[in-house]
Amino acid sequence: MSDQPITSLTLPDDVLFSVRGLKKYFPIHAGWLKKHVGNVKAIDDVSLDIKKGETFGLVGESGSGKSTVARLMLRAYSITDGEIFFRRTNGDIVDLSRLSDRDMRPLRAEMQMIFQDPYSSLNPRMTLLELVGEPMVIHGNGNQGEIKDRVAELLRVVGLRPEFINRYPHAFSGGQRQRIGIARALALNPSFIAADEAVSALDVSVAAQNINLLQDLQEQFGLTYLFITHDLGMVEHIADRIGVMYLGRLMEVAPTELLFSKPLHPYTEALMAAVPQPDPRGNRTRKRVPLKGEIGNAANPPPGCSFHPRCPYAQAKCATEVPALRTVADGRQVRCHFAEELSLVGAVA
Amino acid sequence: MPPERLLELDDVQVHFPLREGLVKAVNGVSYHVNKGEVLGIVGESGSGKSITARAIMRLLPKRAVAAGGSIRLRPRTGEEFELSALDRNSRAIRQVRGQHIGMVFQEPMTALSPVHTIGTQIMRTVQLHKGLNRADARARAIDLLAKVQMPRPSEMVDAYPHQLSGGMRQRAMIALAISCDPSLLIADEPTTALDVTTEAQILELLKQLQSEMGMAIIFITHNFGVIADIADRVSVMYLGRIVETATVDDIFYAPKHPYTKALLRSIPRLGVDQGRRLPTIPGMVPDPFSVPPGCAFNPRCTYARPGICDVTTPPAKHFGNQISRCHFAEKLAEEHAHV
Repeated sequence: MSDQPITSLTLPDDVLFSVRGLKKYFPIHAGWLKKHVGNVKAIDDVSLDIKKGETFGLVGESGSGKSTVARLMLRAYSITDGEIFFRRTNGDIVDLSRLSDRDMRPLRAEMQMIFQDPYSSLNPRMTLLELVGEPMVIHGNGNQGEIKDRVAELLRVVGLRPEFINRYPHAFSGGQRQRIGIARALALNPSFIAADEAVSALDVSVAAQNINLLQDLQEQFGLTYLFITHDLGMVEHIADRIGVMYLGRLMEVAPTELLFSKPLHPYTEALMAAVPQPDPRGNRTRKRVPLKGEIGNAANPPPGCSFHPRCPYAQAKCATEVPALRTVADGRQVRCHFAEELSLVGAVA
Repeated sequence: MPPERLLELDDVQVHFPLREGLVKAVNGVSYHVNKGEVLGIVGESGSGKSITARAIMRLLPKRAVAAGGSIRLRPRTGEEFELSALDRNSRAIRQVRGQHIGMVFQEPMTALSPVHTIGTQIMRTVQLHKGLNRADARARAIDLLAKVQMPRPSEMVDAYPHQLSGGMRQRAMIALAISCDPSLLIADEPTTALDVTTEAQILELLKQLQSEMGMAIIFITHNFGVIADIADRVSVMYLGRIVETATVDDIFYAPKHPYTKALLRSIPRLGVDQGRRLPTIPGMVPDPFSVPPGCAFNPRCTYARPGICDVTTPPAKHFGNQISRCHFAEKLAEEHAHV
């Protein structure tokens, strides 16, 4: 392994991932010469810290860039600008944004991803042994016999019967396939797992089983999760801290309880008000003004605060000045000019 | 049928004779919809909620066999249709579809024609059922788009589905479904593919249209939050059967079937501390070729007793307007009384 850019930078001891000023622009080409005419600003200036052993929830509507953040952190996409510091298992702190793909490879064992669709994310022509064993083959961990033993063990860990080792994914239900994906992600003993809408496609009772499994695994292996979802009930249940995204920007970061009891950003308030609760009486009494319009276009985002065209509290300043993500009391961060002046309503009293 | 009744299903059976065995996707479903009410149908995948809706529309997949039961519809116009007796291509059913029953699907991109503008699609429907000429039909299409709160309706009438966002497409789909003032709208997971803020807009729109036009809605979903928001009454389905039907409040605050109760407990709720682990239902939904005898839920049920639940199919037990198909429904009723 060549000289990795191990930074002299010191992160607070409890931080595993530190993302700073992250940007991802996708170029737009148009015309006969495919001239570069603009950028889709998928991620624009995102900074966040994820602490060791915590579950960080990322919420937002489709197109807000929450999946892109995860993919950038795992270097599945190239980075336009910004830094991503990661604390390796051996204690080194590495800036992933400056690593070549080749130097990145050994680090991939330490960070894994679980996908939403258990049907399209598993190769239908591979058996469970091949699927779950593949990362070990690629990283050269062990011979055939050892890999087989480890796969059987992993299947047991995620609650599947080891006898299934030679079956194909089609023989399993959606919830079980999700478990195969989890076993595969665990194969190389990662310290970090990004779960992208990992239970969104599952039925209620199956989602609950798999969420419990993820929490058990976190305890057992000391895992750190980035949990991406649009399901606010689920994220409240599982996350320690939550980031709210809108049009490629983080609008608010707060500990879960504070976010739900006292949101500081108008978008967070609107998002919570929109979710229908499994509580008919509560729904009848709750004030619910649906948000007007639709999420803006990332190729041509509104000037100033990107949420201002839909914001019920917007003032003249919001249309011209981009608010910064600033730290307010209780270790919370918010990107709104008027956060202190507004008195917003949370989903939880 | 009683005068307030719009639709009545009695012991409807839909079977799929497959190589692996006979799948009873809908196994004796009975429910009714009164004029102007919203009936929510909730259940996990494979419970038969969509197939039942398709049986009403006579739009069953080719392999399906309508194996029994009766479906009767009496729309506003007063005539009565025995839908279960109609052929999928008969003149009568084509009159019912579109004119008396409108349907909205989960995926507007696949349900709308990609090669016709949304205006053309709405115009064809109203020209066919209402006998309007082109100019009137176009004016009606623009009116309908305005009614579903489509921005700039007179421009959007010439837009193709791919030019619209998901929420706009769903609005176009609703405009098409209500174009002939149907007495009943069947909405099959209409907000499942949408973001929560768009979902809230569409739910609000459906509620508004329902009260303005006085139509009834059958709202199919697996999302208990959505059901709580829109339904007047709710039927819960499991493995091709309705296990419980009640008013929305009774379903949520006084369920009398163990499956309803267990499902509700397994949903994470805002502001309710359910402990670190979510309560779950043991096991999984059995595959449709080996549905357990007796009560289909018995292997996963904490109330189940051998010799009873795994032998006899539970009868429908009535508690006022609440119907539960559980041998121990009285026991659940008692538990609520103590809370």
